[in-house]
Amino acid sequence: MNFKRVIANLVVHLRQFSREKSTIFFVLMFPILLMLLFGFIFQDTGSNMGDLHIQDLDGGVHSTALVAAFNGTSIFDIVEVDASADSNEFFADNKLNVMIIIPEGYSDALNMRLFNQTNPQSNITILYDQGNSYSQQKISIVTSVIDSMNKGLSGSVDFIGLDYETQLNDDFKFIDFFAPGIIAMSVMSSALFGTVGMNTELRQKGILKKLATTPLTRSEWLASNILYQMFMAMLSTACILAIGIGIFGLQPHINIYMFLFILLNVFAFAGIGMLITRFVKEAESAQAAANAVMFPMMFLSGTFFQMEMMPDFLQTIAKFLPLYYVNEGLRAAMISLDMDIILESAIIIGIFGLAVFILGVFLTSWKED
Amino acid sequence: MADDVIKVKDLVKVYGELRAVDGITFDIEKGEVFAFLGPNGAGKTTTVEMIETLRTPTSGTIEILGLDIKKDRTEILKRIGVLPQEFSSFDRLTVEETIKYYADLFSADCDVDSLIALVNLDEHRKQLYMNLSGGLKQRVGIAVSLVNDPEIVFLDEPTTGLDPRARHDVWNVISGLRDEGKTIFLTTHYMEEAEVLADYIAIISKGKIIAYGTTNELIDKHFKTINVTIKGGGEGVVQIAKGMGMPIKSTENGNITVEASGNDQIVEFLNNLKSKNIRYTSMDIRKPNLEELFLVLTGEELITQGSDAE
Repeated sequence: MNFKRVIANLVVHLRQFSREKSTIFFVLMFPILLMLLFGFIFQDTGSNMGDLHIQDLDGGVHSTALVAAFNGTSIFDIVEVDASADSNEFFADNKLNVMIIIPEGYSDALNMRLFNQTNPQSNITILYDQGNSYSQQKISIVTSVIDSMNKGLSGSVDFIGLDYETQLNDDFKFIDFFAPGIIAMSVMSSALFGTVGMNTELRQKGILKKLATTPLTRSEWLASNILYQMFMAMLSTACILAIGIGIFGLQPHINIYMFLFILLNVFAFAGIGMLITRFVKEAESAQAAANAVMFPMMFLSGTFFQMEMMPDFLQTIAKFLPLYYVNEGLRAAMISLDMDIILESAIIIGIFGLAVFILGVFLTSWKED
Repeated sequence: MADDVIKVKDLVKVYGELRAVDGITFDIEKGEVFAFLGPNGAGKTTTVEMIETLRTPTSGTIEILGLDIKKDRTEILKRIGVLPQEFSSFDRLTVEETIKYYADLFSADCDVDSLIALVNLDEHRKQLYMNLSGGLKQRVGIAVSLVNDPEIVFLDEPTTGLDPRARHDVWNVISGLRDEGKTIFLTTHYMEEAEVLADYIAIISKGKIIAYGTTNELIDKHFKTINVTIKGGGEGVVQIAKGMGMPIKSTENGNITVEASGNDQIVEFLNNLKSKNIRYTSMDIRKPNLEELFLVLTGEELITQGSDAE
């Protein structure tokens, strides 16, 4: 690969872009609109997630303190369920998504634990509707509250036990959850449609034919396309983050992993775009093909809808979509910093992107039939 | 011949049922301007794109500068320059940026200024490609095809769609290249273009070469007669021609064209007009042109009006 030729192409793409004001406008409009839209939709859900039902079967000092703690978060409107009610029936009758049950003996057990840490931790039960995505969000916050209570009680040892691990930050807002998805989504679409659009246009104008008569190789052309799309991805990411942070108080981790997933995202989808233009030569059909790639990704990869909302078979399909791993990875990088997920997702998309690139180099050719 | 820079032998390209190129053989010598002349759809572009390594022949061999198109593609590309049919370039690059870009692709140390001067684009060097007229765009295309100082330049329909003035400007540029000693492979469906520029002409129809040679050779070979056209002479002209046994080719708009077997017959014919006191406004004596040759060879019109591509 001749690096000078790659750079020469990149410069051409950048010049073309920077001299076309309407392109700049529309390229940046899409992520900005998406972010504004979702920002306003979920702006309020960050501070109030609706009702949280708590049934206090214990009625002791610690259980009362726990209920008070939930009340104090102001994230939920706490609804106390009468201790005489049958928990499961109440849950079902009222179609709840999450209910917290503080079992009898909770305070005693907690006292024992506080007295001697070898005693078992005191558990509370979370009853939740597995088919409801909203319950996942609530549980995350419940977990955060319990977590901070634990920290308040001891600093290190868990006194109150839960089956769930903390996944989100204490000051978690809904927009934090959606921002990585919006970044993944808009980077994917700009890489995919940018590549398809540019290559079909250049083919129609006969510029690809001219390029075919120069020593420029396919891999150099592919590489310069991908580099250019990476630049575009950085632009749209910057827009999304600026709006998220400036208007909606987004508090993401901005780190090297975040950039890694954005670049891998471009790598994979610019490559898919190149393959599409190889096999679908008409501009309109190529756009349609790109749409056919994008829509399943958009709806099945957990960008807009929670995976848990979907039927099992769709969840299984989602696991085969590259954008799912971009979403997972970006969320881990920007919110939870879960290194296992970061590593696993990065490897999966990295391999996928590389495979697409290699296919692109071997399958696409300058030659006409 | 030792100086042959392009050798094409038994070239065939088949698309499904269609034999687009059907067994073509020819050689081109170094420094020659070779015109591939034929109507749209005759197989010109398919042939030239196989020579440029853009398409793979179904069968046959092509050798360029002693190199095989299958094995030495990269080396060939470095040594040829191509103006593809309907050339176009990046809209938002200036003329000089465009030339510089292509030079970079060839890693060529080319003198952008002298190339711009060669195609007479000095005034337009800072203009964006998208704002240039058709003729200027073609001249950019020619400049771009020269960035690597190629030994052979392929120009595929360089003037299709241009107005007559722009066409002549492009011809001037091509003449300049010929004077520099470049070998030029020109495809065109304009007979006049081939007549003005080419040393050798191959006429292609339905994928086959049907005539090959210099313009004069071709005309001389296929036409033994000379056309004499008398304007404004009236019926008397026809009478005299008939009396001399000269075939009448056409009588349109008062133009009477008759066929003379040679110079002697022309002199006799003119003398007869004079002795019979027949007055006429103008007279034109000439050999049939390539247009007519094409008509004779194929029974088809060469130019199917307009600029629709092959």
